[in-house]
Amino acid sequence: MDDQGCPRCKTTKYRNPSLKLMVNVCGHTLCENCVEMLFVRGSGNCVQCDTPLRKSNFRVQLFEDATVDKEVEIRKKVMKIYNKREFDFPSLRDYNDYLEQVEDIVYNLTNNVDVENTKGRMEQYQRENKDIIQRNKAKLTREQEELEELLLLEQQSNEQRRLEVLQEEQRQLQAKRKSKQTLLDELEQSKLPATILLAQHKVRAAQLETQIEQQKQNVKPTSLFSTGIQIGQTVSLQPLPRIQEVLYQYKPLQVETYGPPAPDLEQLSRFGYLNHVRAAMPQDTAGGYTSALACYRAIQDAFNGLFPIRD
Amino acid sequence: MKLNIEGLLVYFPYDYIYPEQYSYMLELKRTLDAKGHGVLEMPSGTGKTISLLSLIVAYQRAFPLDVTKLIYCSRTVPEIEKVVEELRKLMEFYAKETGEANNFLALSLSSRKNLCIHPEVSSLRFGKEVDGKCHSLTASYIRAQRHSNPNLPVCRFYEEFDAVGRQVPLPAGIYNLDDLKDFGRRKGWCPYYLARYAILHANIVVYSYHYLLDPKIADLVSKELAKKSVVVFDEAHNIDNVCIDSMSVNITRRTLDRCQNNVDTLQNTIHKIKETDAAKLREEYRRLVEGLKEANVARETDIYLANPVLPDEVLQEAVPGSIRTAEHFVGFLRRFLEYLKARLRVQHVVQESAPQFLKDIFDKVCIDRKPLRFCAERLQSLLRTLEIADIADFSAVTLISNFATLVSTYSQGFTIIIEPFEDRTPTIANPVLHFSCMDPSIAIKPVFQRFQSVVITSGTLSPLDIYPRILDFRPVTMASFTMTLARTCLCPLIVGRGNDQVALSSKFETREDFAVIRNYGNLLLEMSAVVPDGIVAFFTSYVYMENIVASWYEQGILENIQKNKLIFIETQDAAETSMALEKYQEACENGRGAILLSVARGKVSEGIDFVHHFGRAVIMFGVPYVYTQSRILKARLEYLRDQFQIRENDFLTFDAMRHAAQCVGRAIRGKTDYGLMIFADKRYARSDKRGKLPRWIQEHINDGSLNLTVDEAVQLSKHFLRQMAQPFRQVTTSHRHIP
Repeated sequence: MDDQGCPRCKTTKYRNPSLKLMVNVCGHTLCENCVEMLFVRGSGNCVQCDTPLRKSNFRVQLFEDATVDKEVEIRKKVMKIYNKREFDFPSLRDYNDYLEQVEDIVYNLTNNVDVENTKGRMEQYQRENKDIIQRNKAKLTREQEELEELLLLEQQSNEQRRLEVLQEEQRQLQAKRKSKQTLLDELEQSKLPATILLAQHKVRAAQLETQIEQQKQNVKPTSLFSTGIQIGQTVSLQPLPRIQEVLYQYKPLQVETYGPPAPDLEQLSRFGYLNHVRAAMPQDTAGGYTSALACYRAIQDAFNGLFPIRD
Repeated sequence: MKLNIEGLLVYFPYDYIYPEQYSYMLELKRTLDAKGHGVLEMPSGTGKTISLLSLIVAYQRAFPLDVTKLIYCSRTVPEIEKVVEELRKLMEFYAKETGEANNFLALSLSSRKNLCIHPEVSSLRFGKEVDGKCHSLTASYIRAQRHSNPNLPVCRFYEEFDAVGRQVPLPAGIYNLDDLKDFGRRKGWCPYYLARYAILHANIVVYSYHYLLDPKIADLVSKELAKKSVVVFDEAHNIDNVCIDSMSVNITRRTLDRCQNNVDTLQNTIHKIKETDAAKLREEYRRLVEGLKEANVARETDIYLANPVLPDEVLQEAVPGSIRTAEHFVGFLRRFLEYLKARLRVQHVVQESAPQFLKDIFDKVCIDRKPLRFCAERLQSLLRTLEIADIADFSAVTLISNFATLVSTYSQGFTIIIEPFEDRTPTIANPVLHFSCMDPSIAIKPVFQRFQSVVITSGTLSPLDIYPRILDFRPVTMASFTMTLARTCLCPLIVGRGNDQVALSSKFETREDFAVIRNYGNLLLEMSAVVPDGIVAFFTSYVYMENIVASWYEQGILENIQKNKLIFIETQDAAETSMALEKYQEACENGRGAILLSVARGKVSEGIDFVHHFGRAVIMFGVPYVYTQSRILKARLEYLRDQFQIRENDFLTFDAMRHAAQCVGRAIRGKTDYGLMIFADKRYARSDKRGKLPRWIQEHINDGSLNLTVDEAVQLSKHFLRQMAQPFRQVTTSHRHIP
């Protein structure tokens, strides 16, 4: 960096550490003083390539290689126009071809290859894709979205950690203050000699201290590996013992109703019970409802508990 | 001898077996039976390696269809060689007992630097140079060019191997690195490629951790290894750090400058190729449009080990259009690079998460997440297409592209820390971007998922349950074995006070305290008078050691010690350290006696054994906590707390104690060995520290040796040493039996 200098006045960073190098769209460097001197009127030509320049377009040179500054400048401009995203393309291949095309344009503009033609192509593209450009302006690429998300997560976890530490400190402070207060109270009211009280307090304080120390060390104790296996568990190599058991057998449920047997679901319409029940609307049947179900339930209710309980 | 381990016939090449070895094999067999993972701790020097090998080999012979391969991972080349030697012993025993030559193929694999036999290439000093040079001789397109231009240099070993070697399998046997080289020389084949090819059908492979855990290397070497393999990580107490290191990326200004050069070279090469051979680029382009389908088919049919740097999403989609052509990709790299440069120009420390980084990079240089994710794969493809001979030169840009892929793939488990200068030198600007992995389970996950049994074992793994938690796997066996001893040959003492009753501790507040330093000095002085031969003393850090030694010098303690023994000091320079070590051993050998001052977590504490008279006492000055102010460590602790519910203190203590155990464990390397273990810090007496020492050390700490003064410790040591110095007869009947 030290050997960098202004090509016009030959000042270097070494001789003038506060030297500020500026760069314009053509990618040629000038120091701040030279810019002030040459561009008093606000515009002029580049000393090295004679490109007409405006003074307001001079920026501080960020990189050692001024062409990179220029390229980044151009790239930012091009990216504003060529802002299609991956999902605007039918396949990855097309997207990659598009990316290469963009890269070509940037390359041409930076290295002054076929500038007029390239600019024409850009303008044409801009006209043709006005809508898409407008639409994509605010959208981030998928990758950038992911990044933003990660950054947000990081921030959140940092914030949380900070809060936890703060809370912990607060709690400790309070505990200490409380123990001090109790000591004062006891000294005031208790009838025991002061030395004993002080000794007691000392013990208590030490206990508190160790407690705090322990809490501090207590960072979420885990007993699990990331695989979900207990730490320290010895894994047995023997095959699992086979457990001998009788197979489960289903027995239909017998319910004592203390009443006459209710008719079955199928019998309801045959016996004419359904005649007095509102028929189900088509929209009711959507959920599986039939009028027989409601009727069946009502009849079961009615038949239940009619006999006295025999002991 | 032959053993019956729950119905499995195991040949054991020694006449005696320790009970703990038997129970170790038992547990290991159960792990293999269950086709699950295991964590096993057994003290060093009790024959862990041979028990492992003999059981698994027996298992392989008994159930050749269930376990096809043993992959044994160790840390260093000497350790690898040791394993191969044990294996050789075992195989000889098999041949003798069964009377037939068995057809086991076992080999070790190491880097090109250790295996190359090309006269020019192998004479290069650094591993990276060897790799680069080899690549420039053997890459496929170089060899293709040679058809038109026969004057190009050639590696005749590789050519020979390529022409003949692939058809003829490596004959059965045990090969260590030298054997491979000999075999290669005899046949005129390249041993490195021979070994890499042979591991696919070998029964036992012994190599370094990195071949499985480092995604870049694993992808080259280990991805085709069979699913039905047993993987053993030996000396695995540091495995989480290995995992983390293999996934972390550090970027300095220098990396970026080198990367800039790489990108420029890439651009020039593209220009050149465009003029001469545009068809090649078009071919690559066509392939990229089609997508990385070939790789995807391979992964779906489960032929390959998954690669964390190459996430599944990358395989399912085609390379995004914005980096499809070579120029666009280079432009993309350039932008990324400039962005990183701008980020490195900071004045204060920045810490951010991967999503924050991605958002910022989009705002600043309009780089989306998706092309970043494909960056590593795209670069590999480009380098292949451009036929760049010397890959080693492009390590910088490869690093950057790996970073790009990782940062865009994992939104959790990583953090980015940019530091404008090092903590120690706040005036010198030296910006570093640490992309640090906090979750060791990311790197090791493919290993656990792919292989049917993974065994993690070491002398010091206590507390056992923390490893499954930080590596996020579910073991079927976890066991810690102790050492059965004929005589209590280890004597752990916890020295908590000096003779003047000053508490000894290396904690930060008392670091500069002269009383503590003086008492530490006294301890060493008195010990140097009592202990015969070698003493090794460990400090918690280089800085601390320097301070203490300087202060001992001023107080005249050093002078007094030197009357008893010579003093050697470990430094950060590897060459100096190995020199000191050599001289230390010489001094122990000729009876002069010596003291080696070294640092926990240093080179000496990890890889070097002090058998018998090389280490009669180990003194651990202080508790070796890591440097807790480092931001990377803080981030990791926070992550452990949030994700795995491991408390900061627990992890720090665990980490300190495993290093302390490693240090003191250096002295006892077998049952005939004996040594003192002195923990010079009063904090060791607390149960939370003591409880984290390995069981085999804990057992010998009784209440009488908890809070000693220096004098008391010296008394006890005298007594212990006198006892141990009695001739030790090999009693064969009473204590060594098979349970």
